[in-house]
Amino acid sequence: MTKEQNPYLPPRIRRWLSRWTTLEDIERSLVDEPSSGLEAWARTTAGVVAMLVFVQGVTGVLLAFYYVPSAESAHTTVAYIEKVLPAGSWLRALHHYGSQWLTLFLVLHLAQMFWRRGYSRRPVGWMSTVILLALVLAGGATGYSLPWDARAFFGTRVTEGIAGGLPLVGDASRRWLLGGMEITPVTLARFFALHVLVVPMLILLVITARLFVFRERGIVSDEEERRLEGWMFGQVGRNAIAAGLVFLALALWAARFYAPLGPAADTAAPGYLPRPGAQFLWLFQLLKYLPGRVASAVAVALPALIFIGLASLPFLNPPRLRKVMARPRRNLGAVLFVLGFALFTTMTVIAYVEDVRDPRVRDQLARQAKEEEAFRAAPFSPLRTRTSESNIEDEVEGDADRVAASDGAGGNLRPSASPQSSPSTSASPPQTVVSATSPPDSYITNCSGCHGTRGQGVFPFPRLIGVTSKPRRSVEDLVGIINDPAAYGLQPTMPSFATKISDEDKREIAAWIAVLKKR
Amino acid sequence: MPDQGRRNFLLLLPVTIFAGVAATIATAAFRYLRPLYTRSDPKWSNVAPVSQLKGEKPIMRSIIAEHQAGWASTVEEHFVYVLPGQPHQALSSVCPHEGCNVSWRDDTNGFFCPCHDSYFAADGSRVSGPSRRGLDPLPTREQDGVLQVQYQTFINNTEERIVRG
Repeated sequence: MTKEQNPYLPPRIRRWLSRWTTLEDIERSLVDEPSSGLEAWARTTAGVVAMLVFVQGVTGVLLAFYYVPSAESAHTTVAYIEKVLPAGSWLRALHHYGSQWLTLFLVLHLAQMFWRRGYSRRPVGWMSTVILLALVLAGGATGYSLPWDARAFFGTRVTEGIAGGLPLVGDASRRWLLGGMEITPVTLARFFALHVLVVPMLILLVITARLFVFRERGIVSDEEERRLEGWMFGQVGRNAIAAGLVFLALALWAARFYAPLGPAADTAAPGYLPRPGAQFLWLFQLLKYLPGRVASAVAVALPALIFIGLASLPFLNPPRLRKVMARPRRNLGAVLFVLGFALFTTMTVIAYVEDVRDPRVRDQLARQAKEEEAFRAAPFSPLRTRTSESNIEDEVEGDADRVAASDGAGGNLRPSASPQSSPSTSASPPQTVVSATSPPDSYITNCSGCHGTRGQGVFPFPRLIGVTSKPRRSVEDLVGIINDPAAYGLQPTMPSFATKISDEDKREIAAWIAVLKKR
Repeated sequence: MPDQGRRNFLLLLPVTIFAGVAATIATAAFRYLRPLYTRSDPKWSNVAPVSQLKGEKPIMRSIIAEHQAGWASTVEEHFVYVLPGQPHQALSSVCPHEGCNVSWRDDTNGFFCPCHDSYFAADGSRVSGPSRRGLDPLPTREQDGVLQVQYQTFINNTEERIVRG
């Protein structure tokens, strides 16, 4: 019996696939010995994980269509997604809870693989799953900071604590992660780059390596393929059913529960109690128990040890070790699993129980929940920006002081000026023009229409204040630009004034522009 | 050999489920990404007290208009010309050709755009130059003795006047 007589795929499709794709190779390396009954269903964690990775990718890209990673805009754009955009809060909830579900199903997948001795029979699959789990946790930790609300701000504190707990390199890695000594707008940009570029790329790399680079012993002969094909197609169906059901559950969950979003970080009252995402609660609790430098190093080293141990499990099989115990990988892995599971479960349960038991904590958390609810119920308030700066300053009073106060030189502890708290906050500090003389008449007639009577620029045309500090913008250059803007690479909207203004006036205009300075 | 029904079922099942998941997300994504056609009602901006708007020539005034787009509300300064005569009419100072701001000229008794030499009459109608229509009028009203204008922008370089936003 040849492949053409294959019972499941029509011969034409099969021929086309083997001619034009590598799907056959992938299939051959993925398919494992058949299971039946409950075990076959347990193995559908693979399909569920694949579906959840897909959902995370798609919803992440969709969120990126509106999210802006800056301290001024981050919180407002997330609120816009939540409150204004159709389906926005559902998509964000999918992304938020999908991340937690993915962590859960990766752990189940690993347990299921361990049960079937995956570390020895499918070492590449085993290791890539452990690495994937670590990367998904990293994605969760970095993504938690992006909404830039109080929750995110203190979540970043926890992440920072984990980095700081690393042995020897703790302090350095903390600073590198934050981009400084404190949580600043620099931190937000870093977490954004890590979350949307670095982590997803590494995840893709791991998946690609698993599917296309490393070959595992799967089906080796056509005969074996024939033997397994019936089971394989049945298993694809089981995977699809499991993935479909989990997606349905996640979709309903996301429709029922909002992804949390509180007021902007700088409005958090003192005494705010940070709580990380459910998948990090155990680590948070562990850090709580072990104050101090050495202890927090332990709190980080312990989970790290479990991860590294699990990832390297396929190699922990030297003959010398085998003399001591019958199946070293089975035993070691079981110890790591039980340790990890016990750590996760007890710490998570303790964290929840403590929060409910302590009346002060309970009240504070209830207060925070109420604040989040109130913020959710409040209508969306847009981010105020401005495009030109002339007399708007006079109209929007009390603005300058506020901006000046929050415009400290990089030492911002909290995200600066939130749009929710002060509706008149601008994105950039105002720069008042100080000019000794009023503009020449020829400037008013010819230039002020677009560049403003004080050189401040009228949207969308550029401001001239401070322009002489740029290269190729000396007084002589300005005269040159008036004569031939194209030669200086200016937009064609700016015409030549060579014949419209006298040479004397051109020089006067250029000299006046050079005097315009920023305060 | 398995029967045809089981074979078809096993081929169609994963495809159907995947299509269901993808279609669910795609429906949400379509609604989520759809461009927002509706804009908030154009707001009235104060120009000046009517008592100040006297004289024979058009008067240029700057107005502050708030423009909401997506999550951002932009405060913009724009210029309008208030024409003499009652009731007051207002023109946008934006040249309908390429969008420079026009200025008033006593010598031609009309508006002039310094960018590409379009000339307009005192009432804003087109006289000469590359502009394909006259200056754009803006809706006005009087409220408690203050002239207000509904600031709008129009698409450049068309004969017809098409509101952009």
